[in-house]
Amino acid sequence: MAERVFNMPDLGEGLEDAEIVEWKVSEGDTVKLNQPLVDVNTAKALVEIPSPFAGKIVKLHGADGDVVKVGDPLITIDVEGAGSPAATPVEPEQAAGEEAPRREAVLVGYGVNPEDAAKRNRPRLRPPGERKAPAAGAGTAPSPGALSSAPSPGRVAAAPPVRRLAKEMGVDLTGVHGTGPSGRVTREDVIKAAGTERPAAAGAEPSMVMPSFAGPEERIPVRGVRRMIAQKMARSWAEIPHVTTFHLIDATQIEALRRELTTQSGIKVTALSVVVRALAEICREHPKLNSSYDTEAGELVLKKACHVGIATDTEQGLVVPVVRDVGDKGIVTLAREIADLVGASRERTATPEQLTGGTITVTNVGTFGSEFGTPIINFPEVAILAIGTIKPRALVVEGEIEVRSAVTLSLSFDHRVIDGAEADRAMSAVRNLLESPFRLGALPRE
Amino acid sequence: MAEVTMAQALNEALRFSLSDDDRVLILGEDVGKLGGVFRITDKLQAEFGEQRVFDTPLAESAIAGVSLGLTQAGWRPVAEMQFEAFSYPALDQVISHIAKYRFRSAGTTEVPMVIRIPCGGGIGAAEHHSESPETYYAHTSGLKVVIPSTALDAFNLLVRAIRDPDPIIFFEPKSRYWSKESGDLVPDGLPIGAARVAREGQHCTLVAWGAMVARCLEVATAAAEDGVELEVLDLRSLVPLDLDALAASVQKTGRAVVVHEAPLTVGFGAEVVARIVEDSFDYLEAPVLRVTGYDMPYPPAKVEEHYLPSVDRIFHAVDRVLSH
Amino acid sequence: MPSKRDDTFRILAPDGTVDEKAKEGLDLKEEDLRQMFRFMVLARKVDLECTALQRQGELAVYPPLIGQEAAQIGSAYALGDEDFIFPSYREMGAAIVRGVDLVDYMHFHRGTWHGGVRDPVGARFAMISVPVGSQMLHAVGWAMGTKFDGKEACAITYFGDGATSQGDFHEACNFAGVFKAPVVFFCQNNHWAISVPIEKQTAAPIWKKAEAYGFPGVRVDGNDVLAVYKVTREATERARAEGIPTLIEAVTYRLGPHSTADDATRYRTKEEVDRWHELDPLERYRQFLEAEGVADQSFVLEVEAEAEDVAATVRAGIQGAPPPPVEDLFKWVYSDVPPHLARQRDEALGLLEEGEDG
Repeated sequence: MAERVFNMPDLGEGLEDAEIVEWKVSEGDTVKLNQPLVDVNTAKALVEIPSPFAGKIVKLHGADGDVVKVGDPLITIDVEGAGSPAATPVEPEQAAGEEAPRREAVLVGYGVNPEDAAKRNRPRLRPPGERKAPAAGAGTAPSPGALSSAPSPGRVAAAPPVRRLAKEMGVDLTGVHGTGPSGRVTREDVIKAAGTERPAAAGAEPSMVMPSFAGPEERIPVRGVRRMIAQKMARSWAEIPHVTTFHLIDATQIEALRRELTTQSGIKVTALSVVVRALAEICREHPKLNSSYDTEAGELVLKKACHVGIATDTEQGLVVPVVRDVGDKGIVTLAREIADLVGASRERTATPEQLTGGTITVTNVGTFGSEFGTPIINFPEVAILAIGTIKPRALVVEGEIEVRSAVTLSLSFDHRVIDGAEADRAMSAVRNLLESPFRLGALPRE
Repeated sequence: MAEVTMAQALNEALRFSLSDDDRVLILGEDVGKLGGVFRITDKLQAEFGEQRVFDTPLAESAIAGVSLGLTQAGWRPVAEMQFEAFSYPALDQVISHIAKYRFRSAGTTEVPMVIRIPCGGGIGAAEHHSESPETYYAHTSGLKVVIPSTALDAFNLLVRAIRDPDPIIFFEPKSRYWSKESGDLVPDGLPIGAARVAREGQHCTLVAWGAMVARCLEVATAAAEDGVELEVLDLRSLVPLDLDALAASVQKTGRAVVVHEAPLTVGFGAEVVARIVEDSFDYLEAPVLRVTGYDMPYPPAKVEEHYLPSVDRIFHAVDRVLSH
Repeated sequence: MPSKRDDTFRILAPDGTVDEKAKEGLDLKEEDLRQMFRFMVLARKVDLECTALQRQGELAVYPPLIGQEAAQIGSAYALGDEDFIFPSYREMGAAIVRGVDLVDYMHFHRGTWHGGVRDPVGARFAMISVPVGSQMLHAVGWAMGTKFDGKEACAITYFGDGATSQGDFHEACNFAGVFKAPVVFFCQNNHWAISVPIEKQTAAPIWKKAEAYGFPGVRVDGNDVLAVYKVTREATERARAEGIPTLIEAVTYRLGPHSTADDATRYRTKEEVDRWHELDPLERYRQFLEAEGVADQSFVLEVEAEAEDVAATVRAGIQGAPPPPVEDLFKWVYSDVPPHLARQRDEALGLLEEGEDG
């Protein structure tokens, strides 16, 4: 025996409540399944409600003339032989003792089931401007205009592909003068704006003047550094079967160490210098990374020193100054040397010696926000490491989602001499080192 | 101010129109003594007599065709189709005659009639009582197609529809029949052909009509907790469509999601998206998405909540659009 | 009322002789008798002219009514001025009686205008209706509305034997019965619904179907203009006075093809058509008129000359007639031109601004 509450059912008659006209049973009565219990008036119709259970009536919730809301208790019955078919209500959802689903009655069907606006399975929304803003402390590249696409009443007209170009070039359309029909911002307008905005906003950043689209075409001689880059890239790509592997790394420790050393030394210690230093450590354990492949001799030449090339973006094009004997230096020293070498390269004052002799190369593709890269190996080396943008990401830490600073490292390697497993063992070692506060902290600092 | 349900407002609109113009007639199945299965014509026969408000035999093609004949005798019939799926037998009359009559007569003949059609699901009813056939009608030139989303506008829109010289398909979102609103029942709201900004926002426009307007407002309320301001545009009138209001809203927000109960493919949302692309292409920050019923017959009542656009489904679409 | 033998009411025998008992109560004056003949000759002449115009490329298609003149003229002539005709697409004869502008009417068949009637309410003749049987409901609605106003007028709707298979036929008869609508359902049983003979259309006599709707049904010889006039006259009076609808089955024959696009030799024999040519309604009526002394040879010649003139007028009016200006199309969809349509109009008229290239 169990007490069950039968709630005022949705009678499909279009009202939210019903008036009890006359009870046909009394408390203490024994009722059979489907025995008439009560007449109720929905104002549209007089309806007789039959008992959904067999049993003894415990309580009538309301007297003749009372108005009972749909879903509120109408009658409590002590159900005999609970679980027996006779005790099973016709509508399982409206089983006694449970709140009936709160439907808004209509005249046909079960009635309206108002949706629960409480959060169920839905993403947290972010306004477009907020979402697009670069995460604080992430890449080092300034992004002019900060992509604030926060809408304003007088929004600028531009075709979606042009909007995309503007985003890619970091141009805020709001300030751009449109020269297209109806004042529409054109592709050319964005390119022009990028050319004028960048120096002002980016300070020392080399200006990136894009060629005009006016005229049929323009021919730029490929000479000097550019030609050398072209030849080198082509040879590397043609000869070396490249494979790239990607490893997402929690950058919390890198960031912590970098900040600590910056504070201590007074010079800006970059994540790049930390990674470069760690890489040298790994090259000790995995010497094949730090080698060259002599195809004529058919020999792999393992280098006994680790000289790391730093891919550097300059006005003339890609230049790779080399930091020497990285394995012998502390992080702060490396930070200083890298800054000097990059500066010299951009000012074209780097000596030939500073630009040659590398054994492995690092490229910081994250500078412009790239997540990861598939870098081309600096021939005749066999490996190159790309550092993606470091920014807060949702990482699963001990089963919980946490916002952590993270970075993807991409290692391209020469598959002729290095196997994937080997490369990934090395990268795994890189991750273990960079994520461990103890091991990272043990690297030479000064 | 009194609180009124949409059903009551519609009933009052019919009462108002019967009093306002003695050429107005109401006909349909069970509209007399019973007052309609949804009670929209409740007590009207008693008040206005059996000639002004009358039950017809159970034949929808005749209800539509006879209504057309009545207009030619100078009456303004307001015909009720009991459920949207029962309006299909009348499609021949609606498409072949009612929509074309003015046109075929070189503009000399007016067809001032309203066909009221309860529509939409979400009421736990049979599949033939839950559909959203607005596209069939909106696709038929010569008809005006309107649908209110609130009680007060239901009054305003129905009175205006009855006064209109053109044939009007007046959809009534069943799941909103018992939604309440406070205010005076006066026919001085927006005209047919004007959309209504149901909520202002700057980040994305939700375009909806009928029952989905309330659903979109729920979404907007929830989104505001995340700091996202959604604009909700209640179209009210699918034909004529308020192209200016649609363009103004989308050009302001740069983003749009269209929500309707009817299935996706060739739903009216497709028309809305096409208009957005035509008029606001240069302002779009993201693709325009649709959240709709699925391309299937209306499902059984117990699973309809998975079919109808939910707050969650709309949320996901908004998220996609905002993060584009 | 229908004669005992075949239930078909007839006044004039095929040879023009009169059943005096059936003729009793016929309220036509001599001038009316001559006028009906005038209309029948005119209908025949314009009908043949239109078939010719179609063959000459001036009309897109034309549905000939030849053979059905008595059914159409006799019934339409029985109507009062306020009565309203709801035709199908083969009722040019009824249109002539109503005074519909025949050039306007032929614009429908030329494909330069839709409805065939520019002011249906004014003309008391609704637009040509192609969806078979659909116009019957409009007649019922109009009749109900007219009755609501307490006016003494009735509607008559024309349809063929094939239309009686439509749901709208049933719905219209049923509504008319229930609402006591003053309407006359005038079925021209011309034996063929394009290629399907009446035997394959219905297993019961058409006129008998009326009983199921609770109102009288009559079968009349549709090639006997006087009999058609009489039963229709009685039906309209019942309708106006008592709100009793009537279903009239006028048994006639479509001597021509379904339309100028049809080839009737594919489905019926020459012998059958020849047999019905011998029952030509015009010839039967002419014999009667001459026998009664109501008309003579010279009258017949005069009427034929008049008909030639009207046919020439129709030809002159429709030949080379242009369609309406494209701009007008946009005005006629709604009482106003909504924005979306205004855009399309501007596009159609080439008024859109140039440029705006993407």
